Amino acid sequence: MASVLLPVSLLLAVLLLIPELFGDFTAYQIGLYLIYGIAAQGIGFLWGKTGVLPLGQALFFGVAAYITAITLRAEGGLVLDLALAAGVLVIMAVFAFALAALIFRGRNESGPYFSLITLALVMIAEQIAGTATNLTGGFNGMSGFQSLGNLDPFGGFYYVIVTATVAVSLLLFILNRLPVNLIARAVANNEPRLQLLGFPTHAVKGAVFAFSAVIAALAGGLFASHQGIVTPTSTGFALSAEMVILAAVGGRFHVLGPLIGAVIVGWASAELRDSFPYWELLMAVAFILVVLKAPGGIAELLESAYRRFRPVGTTVPKPAIVAPKPRNGVAKSRLQFDDVKLSIGFVRILNGVSFETPATGIVSVIGPNGAGKTSALNTITGNLRLTSGSISLGDTRIDSRPPHMALGVGIGRKLQVPSVFFSMSVSENLSIAMMANRAGLIDLFRPTTFQWRSKPLADLLEHPSVPLQEELVQPVEHLPQGHRQFLEYAMTIAAEPPVLLLDEPCAGLSPDETGLMTDLVRDYQADTGGLVIVIEHDMSIVEAISDKVLVLHLGQVLAFDTFDKVRSNPDVQVVYAGGTK
Amino acid sequence: MTSVLILNLAWQISTLALVALGLAIVFGKLRIMNMAHGEFVMIGAYAPVITSSLGLPGWLQLPVCLLTVAFVAFILERVVIRHLYGRMFDSLLATWGIAILLREAVELIFGRGYQSVSPPISGTLSVLGSDYPAYRIAVIIGIIIGFAALYWWNARSKVATRIKAMVGNPDLAEAIGINTARLSAGAFIFGCCTAGLAGLILAPTIRIEPMMGLDYLIRSFFALVVGGLGSLEGLGIGAGIIAGTQSFLGAVVSQTYGYLAVLTLSILFLWLKPDGIRSSSR
Repeated sequence: MASVLLPVSLLLAVLLLIPELFGDFTAYQIGLYLIYGIAAQGIGFLWGKTGVLPLGQALFFGVAAYITAITLRAEGGLVLDLALAAGVLVIMAVFAFALAALIFRGRNESGPYFSLITLALVMIAEQIAGTATNLTGGFNGMSGFQSLGNLDPFGGFYYVIVTATVAVSLLLFILNRLPVNLIARAVANNEPRLQLLGFPTHAVKGAVFAFSAVIAALAGGLFASHQGIVTPTSTGFALSAEMVILAAVGGRFHVLGPLIGAVIVGWASAELRDSFPYWELLMAVAFILVVLKAPGGIAELLESAYRRFRPVGTTVPKPAIVAPKPRNGVAKSRLQFDDVKLSIGFVRILNGVSFETPATGIVSVIGPNGAGKTSALNTITGNLRLTSGSISLGDTRIDSRPPHMALGVGIGRKLQVPSVFFSMSVSENLSIAMMANRAGLIDLFRPTTFQWRSKPLADLLEHPSVPLQEELVQPVEHLPQGHRQFLEYAMTIAAEPPVLLLDEPCAGLSPDETGLMTDLVRDYQADTGGLVIVIEHDMSIVEAISDKVLVLHLGQVLAFDTFDKVRSNPDVQVVYAGGTK
Repeated sequence: MTSVLILNLAWQISTLALVALGLAIVFGKLRIMNMAHGEFVMIGAYAPVITSSLGLPGWLQLPVCLLTVAFVAFILERVVIRHLYGRMFDSLLATWGIAILLREAVELIFGRGYQSVSPPISGTLSVLGSDYPAYRIAVIIGIIIGFAALYWWNARSKVATRIKAMVGNPDLAEAIGINTARLSAGAFIFGCCTAGLAGLILAPTIRIEPMMGLDYLIRSFFALVVGGLGSLEGLGIGAGIIAGTQSFLGAVVSQTYGYLAVLTLSILFLWLKPDGIRSSSR
């Protein structure tokens, strides 16, 4: 808890000292920078964790400022004002969530589309604010209202701002220590993997965006009360851009970074803007340099200086807690392909694949390169949409659903190239995997969720030959390829899916490790009695583990039988041993 | 009356198609989300201001425009952009900073106020029973001819294929003899120059100011979202839908509603048809 309370109480002490040391006018100025800083903290949280960059955050800031101005003008009393404020925040959160969730549905990237839509939104908002004179006062803005609770902007209102700053920072510090922080970071880190672990990433991004919008709106409300005037520029494009610069220069990966950025940039701007004509140019250059050379900003420089005096202490791992049962939908069902066709552009990848697996056992999928093996798995998890045909698990039709729904019906998947959260530690990777298909919304806000362990995962980690136990605190990017394979396998079975899809699990493994992996897969199948589908090129492994073998060739089923019968099948021999067909 | 409406529509669609062409090349082909695209339009629009303030003859506007834009684009490509091919999100951030830099630089040189220039062709032509500025008719015809030529060239040239190969796998493209550094720089500068040319063409019909670029960036982006990346037909369809909707609603209701309508349209497309109407396989 010290890591939360120390910086927050330090922040509180510094902010309380400012009016005593520098006088009320400086406190008034710092108050304005802090208001921008709060909005920038929201941007930093969204951008630094999920990688989503909002270019129109002044939309929420400005609209909240206008609503505050209108409300304060009506003089309905403090209680009514606060109730209305809460209502406005809820409406904005819903709007922001819906907008982001809609745009991010169907695309696995945080890329430019969302940023540009937010930019367009803020531009239209500025235009409306400037033209709807009856509502907003047009270009001259709205003024002539008292501040919230009739506090003096040059005196008592500073302490309202300090309270808000400290409260938002405290909230962000606490969120950083909760499981939800891991999920938000995982979005930027490896979105397809997070979807295969059952998390609807578009909703995650939507929720974080809504959170940042609420913080921006809170800052906007303070702004109206503090400045006593709201003009179209407070919902404008230029302010949005400035807030992004504050977050970037201050440091978007740290809670206090955007605040530091806001105060430093605000103060320097007030000092230099008039005497130094190139000030705005300097800010733009600083932004470009930070983006290209020092993404951590000022906060990271401060942090690394601080860490020279006080290195990071080692934390003692907390004891494991038995995790709740996973929510697996369909248990022990046959997987059925019915005339599945898949084309992308002119390329036909699957040409009418039909087969039905048993409900339990290990099925190996073999076939030459380009036969459509990985594509077949992609259609099962919904990473590719069928052109025609259907796929069902038991009685449930599962094709053409988004990938995040696959685990919900009981399908876990390990990808061909190990796909894990590369910039996180091994134990963080495992924590996310343990939440998959288990954690409800409340569990994401409970620190004890970090301690969850299930039996399959515990057995795997305690297995004497599995290398992960000693590497729990290591960042994954330093792990060798083979260890990543085991990590991704561990993450996939942590959710105990009754149907397990493994795409070349032994690729890049040494002979010893290959033996270990095949043992693990066999044990898992025996323990759960479920279905395992493995893509494999090594025939000795296929022979050793398979109950049935599915041979794909040119997007069609060539044979589907036991290993021995497949081996003696003349068609299969032609494909594998050469010859003309 | 209706013929003026139709001519206005043709003007809006053809100029938007020209403005969006550069973004279609740089964003669609090079995978650089150029947030400074509108600023190149803006710099192009300042070319007549430069020539008149230096006392140069009017026919130098075009060379001054292309040289200025190409010079700025070349410097940016060398210093920043060439490190960012294929890294779309990083390119967005960096070009966002560049856009601010260019706006501030132009503001420092020319001031914040509006500038205006007169068209090189004055007078009106009588088309279908109504008078319409001759300059705009010349521009519409010029853009149509230009796009037809581009389409013809694009269907025969291998440059588009080379660019696709380069963005898909730069190392392999280099190994089979494509000079990737020159090709990507050339494509980027060409894209920026078409934006500058669009700015020069639009200059007599708009108020020229440092912040004018953003609107063109947004509308080009909308056109690409709706039309789809990667083909000239998509660009034309997207420009037609966006400029058509905006100018129709702008004439019938108000500019604000026109803008809101195309914004809603773009969000709907991103939600329901993320690859646009004509998407080439990626």
